[in-house]
Amino acid sequence: MLYKPTDAHEALRAKVRAFAETEVKPYAFLMDKENEFPTEAVKKMGELGWMGIPFPKEYGGAGLDNISYAIAVEELARVDGGAGVILSAHTSLGAWPIFAFGTEEQKKKYLIPLAKGEKIGAFGLTEPNAGSDAGGTETTADRDGDCYILNGGKIFITNADKAEIYVVFAVTTPDIGTRGISAFIVEKGWAGFTFGDHYDKLGIRSSSTAELIFNNVKVPKENLLGKEGEGFRIAMSTLDGGRIGIAAQALGISQGAYESALEYSKERVQFGKPICFQQSISFKLADMATKLRAGRLLVYSSAALKDEHQPYGMESAMAKQFVSDNGLEIVSEALQIFGGSGYLKGMDIERMYRDAKICTIYEGTNEIQRVVIAAHIIGKIPKSESAAKAKKAGPITGERKNEIFKTGAPKEQVAALKAALEKDGYDFSIGIDPNTPIVQAERVVSAGKGVGEKKNMKLIEDLALQAGAAIGSSRPVAETLRYLPINRYVGMSGQKFSGNLYIAVGISGAGQHLKGIKNASTIVAINNNASAPIFKNCDYGIVGDLNVILPLLIAALNNGKPKKPAPPMKKIKRATPVKLPPLWKAHICNGCGYEYNPDIGDSEGGVSAGTLFENLPDSWICPECGEDKNQFIEV
Amino acid sequence: MHCTRKVTDNLYWVGANEHRLALFENIHPLTKGVSYNSYLLLDDKTVLFDTVDWSVCRQFLENVAHVLNGRKLDYLVINHLEPDHAASIDEVLLRYPEVKLISNEKAFMQMRQFGFNIDERYEEIKEGDTRSFGKHTIAFVYAPMVHWPEAMVSFDTTNGVLFAADAFGTFNALDGVLFADEVDFDRDWLDEARRYLTNIVGKYGPHIQALLKKATPLVPSIKFICPLHGPIWRKDFGYIIEKYDKWSRYEPEVKGVLIIYASMYGNTESAAVALATKLREKGVKDVAVRDVSSTHVSWLISETFKYSHVVLASVTYNLGIYPLIHNYLMDMKALNLQQRTFAVIENGTWAPKAGGLIREFLDKELKQITVLGDELTINSSMTEEKDVELDSMADSIVESLKG
Repeated sequence: MLYKPTDAHEALRAKVRAFAETEVKPYAFLMDKENEFPTEAVKKMGELGWMGIPFPKEYGGAGLDNISYAIAVEELARVDGGAGVILSAHTSLGAWPIFAFGTEEQKKKYLIPLAKGEKIGAFGLTEPNAGSDAGGTETTADRDGDCYILNGGKIFITNADKAEIYVVFAVTTPDIGTRGISAFIVEKGWAGFTFGDHYDKLGIRSSSTAELIFNNVKVPKENLLGKEGEGFRIAMSTLDGGRIGIAAQALGISQGAYESALEYSKERVQFGKPICFQQSISFKLADMATKLRAGRLLVYSSAALKDEHQPYGMESAMAKQFVSDNGLEIVSEALQIFGGSGYLKGMDIERMYRDAKICTIYEGTNEIQRVVIAAHIIGKIPKSESAAKAKKAGPITGERKNEIFKTGAPKEQVAALKAALEKDGYDFSIGIDPNTPIVQAERVVSAGKGVGEKKNMKLIEDLALQAGAAIGSSRPVAETLRYLPINRYVGMSGQKFSGNLYIAVGISGAGQHLKGIKNASTIVAINNNASAPIFKNCDYGIVGDLNVILPLLIAALNNGKPKKPAPPMKKIKRATPVKLPPLWKAHICNGCGYEYNPDIGDSEGGVSAGTLFENLPDSWICPECGEDKNQFIEV
Repeated sequence: MHCTRKVTDNLYWVGANEHRLALFENIHPLTKGVSYNSYLLLDDKTVLFDTVDWSVCRQFLENVAHVLNGRKLDYLVINHLEPDHAASIDEVLLRYPEVKLISNEKAFMQMRQFGFNIDERYEEIKEGDTRSFGKHTIAFVYAPMVHWPEAMVSFDTTNGVLFAADAFGTFNALDGVLFADEVDFDRDWLDEARRYLTNIVGKYGPHIQALLKKATPLVPSIKFICPLHGPIWRKDFGYIIEKYDKWSRYEPEVKGVLIIYASMYGNTESAAVALATKLREKGVKDVAVRDVSSTHVSWLISETFKYSHVVLASVTYNLGIYPLIHNYLMDMKALNLQQRTFAVIENGTWAPKAGGLIREFLDKELKQITVLGDELTINSSMTEEKDVELDSMADSIVESLKG
């Protein structure tokens, strides 16, 4: 084997380099200074067929390999780090997940214009509380008939707002961590989809980076990418490939800095000779060239693995981490060679010095790259620790907003509650028969023992009327106090409420009651005991006497007109988490059918949990029948 | 009286049918018997391929003697040592003292364990070896864990006959049939072929896949597939290979719903049937309802391999899962059944527990089982109010079937 790109690769490199030198480099300084996106250059790149290099021709791509793609990113980044990431984010993050996980229709509709460069793509994963840990994703996508309703926001999104097609990740099933995340294709211009401020960045200033804001954005169900619950998997495998792009970008920036420094060191004469002949400088150049060669081999070999459909997640993490870490050293030494001249605005090296830093941060910090690499070497964290984490049980009704309105007088608290509910989409001009069976009701106002004397039930009835709800109760209210028929109490042993709005009045929140409302979309608690469990299980709450709060709430919801009949209930269904196969490959014994499970290991054979099959010692034998390790087949 | 049939030139079926056995492997009910197939090749040398269960040994010996017609038996090839095929080895050795056994190291080890007196009368072959018996050359291909470790298949490179061991076998006696194309296999035999494969070899899907992969280059030259149970395949290989491919990848054959219920007094049954009715009303074409108490688990397993969706409706029993449903779940785990979508209905009069426990089992013990989100708990009996929930369960099943 010969570790070098083919002639075709080098021909492409020459073409991209010529383009970069004439179409990008001359404007790089200005674009950096003005934070300006190279719209014209990107358009031309599309026309030249470089916006879809690794995608098949039938989808508008160039039908080339990932090494070609890496070379293109490298060559752009060599003159302008920002231009490099525009192409990388577009190709690896925007288009690739649609290519890899999209349906035929999705590919036709979205991949083709992306690959042709008619539209730019982007990827929305990062959030304020979900950076390296995607499990913290808070953007939600609730199923509503033929649509998903997207709410939340994304930060640090490369190519926003220039991109027209976004792959966005949102929670479809709450409370189950990364398994509840799904991916969606979202188009710029859809109602409720807006952009926050552009970031004023240290480097890569020619690339556009902005916030995405989703406010009740209707996403047709056809735009679900992959299946529900596959989002995390899609995000992770996208980032596996994205790392090749970022590594190529870091490689290009480093290469540009190295070449500038080399050239300068030949021209700059001190002590009677060009400084490149000073050992102190020549050694710097030697180190830079060595790091570049090592890095380039890492980048191209992980791209080659991807082309061959071999596992490349670890290798691309190594490439990204190694090249970007070394890139910082290269740009630093390159600037050092320039001396004071390199420290001035207007010098390419000054810009490269700033541009390089982002590569150790985005698309997985280099700390996370090491987590990825380590996981490939030693397997995932043994179960005992994650089990301990899982044991931390949340509230019975799942994660809720827990917004308790405390500020101001009761009247203001009630107004805040009403506003919050209306913001969630509840229309209080409609109503239903208060005797609608609990399981059929979209809304229920429910009374607990805290309601007190029977005459207070009038308040419950009035509230139910104004809130457009049926009347329910806790078990003791129906069974012991007999304020309501027995078939109207809500709880695990009674009626389960799985509609949208549940207003619990004077209900403390016994476990069996809470289990009966865990599928409710919104839970409102009104109780005079601030430490009642219901408040930990509610979305909105007001702590106060129902004789004070209820009349205010009834008045607030009353628009003075009779309630219009409610349209048929649109039940917001909770999505089902889909079980995915484990990331590791299972292996089975030819001698007995025993399946080696890395999660368990083989304690008798001295193999600790978390050991991948590949990492078992060659002397390891099947614990059941004694066959050799090489008698195992991969599933 | 002998009973044999010619397979092709120089090759004869000398097996036997069994009708009196109630339980195959003493566990799986037989309704129409089973056949034990053995084949005799008359070349320059005479070669017998596998033997039969002890119960039909007499018929088998008559058949062998008839086809040999006075010639001596030279070789006995053993592809699989399970006693339903190997129990008569000792008897063959007694009757034909000059016969030489041909098999692999593991098989000979197992013969000694079973107490057969093979002495030095054997030739050990290895994977890929060939033996010529005159005009016919036989190649030996290991098929480990389909479904025993010593299992192998033998391929006659001269006339394209594949002696497939337990692969492509099925329950049901042949009763005169020899070839799969002599019957309406899809209508009359497929269900039993599926039940045989899934219950007996189901766990070893990856090993079947490995064998299919290994056999792929041979396929164009295969003319006959001779299994150890059931009819011989001489055409439509694609049909049966596709089935095997699906079963061994745990991929459902049909998008449909299998409803398995456990009902002590008919209340859970009523919910199960109501759900089946709703599904039919909503246009689901393939819905099967089974009472776990009166359906042997081997059929339930077989149908779970067939269908994409399963609804389990279980009463709560001793604060747990109804024992027969639990047995079904344990069997699913043992057979590596995976990649299905489930919905769960539980019933309980004072503390319904079965549903949660079934979900936990499906989630923790089986692979890639998706459980639909809607939970349905019946308190003793279905009510009008619960009907809405049942309807919503039917809706989510219908929706999931589309996916």
